[in-house]
Amino acid sequence: MTETFYQEFEIFSKRTPNAAFTHQFSLLAPNKEMALLMAQENFMRREPVVDIWVVKREDIRGMTPDEKQMLQRLDNKDYRTTKGYGYLKKKWRHYEQQMLDEKEIMSWQGGDSK
Amino acid sequence: MYDATHLFEPPVMTEEEKLERFKERIENGEKIEADDWMPDFYRDTLIKLISMHGISEIMGALPEKEWVPKAPSLRRKLGIMAKVQDEMGHGQLLLRVVEDLMKPYGKTRADLMDDLFTGRLKFHNVFHMPTRSWADAGTIGWLVDGAAIITQTNMLGASYGPYARALQRICAEEVFHAQHGESIIMALAEGTPEQKAMIQESLDEWWESLLMFFGPATKETTGTSKQDVTIAYKIRTKTNEELRQNFFTKYVPRIRSLGLVIPDPTLRFDEETGQWIYAQPDWTEFKKIIQGGGPRSKERLALRQTSYQNNAWVREALAETIG
Repeated sequence: MTETFYQEFEIFSKRTPNAAFTHQFSLLAPNKEMALLMAQENFMRREPVVDIWVVKREDIRGMTPDEKQMLQRLDNKDYRTTKGYGYLKKKWRHYEQQMLDEKEIMSWQGGDSK
Repeated sequence: MYDATHLFEPPVMTEEEKLERFKERIENGEKIEADDWMPDFYRDTLIKLISMHGISEIMGALPEKEWVPKAPSLRRKLGIMAKVQDEMGHGQLLLRVVEDLMKPYGKTRADLMDDLFTGRLKFHNVFHMPTRSWADAGTIGWLVDGAAIITQTNMLGASYGPYARALQRICAEEVFHAQHGESIIMALAEGTPEQKAMIQESLDEWWESLLMFFGPATKETTGTSKQDVTIAYKIRTKTNEELRQNFFTKYVPRIRSLGLVIPDPTLRFDEETGQWIYAQPDWTEFKKIIQGGGPRSKERLALRQTSYQNNAWVREALAETIG
């Protein structure tokens, strides 16, 4: 009986409406409803929280240690990132223009233009 | 797309090669996760360390909860109740970490409870002691939690990832605990002569327990110590004695600044060696206490056992809902 009483749940929560879900920790509970209650008791006594997910651990397809090793990236993906296009800054300076870099573009939220 | 999975076929490693690879990972500062390969001695050391830590959090809530109804104001009741709840929460986090470690051995939380009730699983010496006054509640928050913060922050960078992450959460809340204790002590230190006498009496009573909390300097004192293996495998960085010395450096000036007298006339900082000189606590007594022979050991264990038995019906009723 006691062997089946506890099931493992992984707990995720959001701090603000705009935030992504973050893994908090795991806990043992007999069902999803209890897991949700326990999650608040165990991990959210102080920090602001706007949403909680409880997921049965057995429903998560994780990676084995060997699979994780395959995640290591080779350092040859410049063409995929802004790093590979940094030379444009100098070019634009030549045309007396500022480069529209990440900082500039991400600052356009809300329709403000500089 | 061609099938490249054969290129990633993991090489078959011998036990020795696995151990070498494990040591390399520890040396590189990598985090070991629950489903990673680890040698049995590393797993067993973690199980022993973290189950003792987790159960101590739970047993530590018991002497404090006695003070919830007796706390002198509503705000104090709320404060100490929040702390008791935190300690239980810390126990839950840590037991979870242990459960994942024990899984390959087919053991569960029920086995941990059995180990506690039969005395195989020990808890910190300080939680075998009585809390006789409100000043004791303050001393626990200020100095026992202060000592606990020193030992716990020492393991924040632990090589075992789940423990390091649990400690991150725990230490953040311990800051509140320490200040909660300081607040109780400060009110008494600035109070009536009787209140001042209360904290002096409390310090006299708790001083030895506080020194014992860090454990003996060497294993010669009590027969066993996991210090060497925990340092070698980067679970902790400092020895028991280094931690005790840190405690002196941080707390002796603060204790004295409140006009309290530390009950050890030999205590002094030796400029030459850069070490605090102090009277050793009675390590024979320490051994007796952690083996369940402390003044409150039996009562606290009985309380835990009663609540475990009284709540058995909840576990049974909810087991029905699992399908």
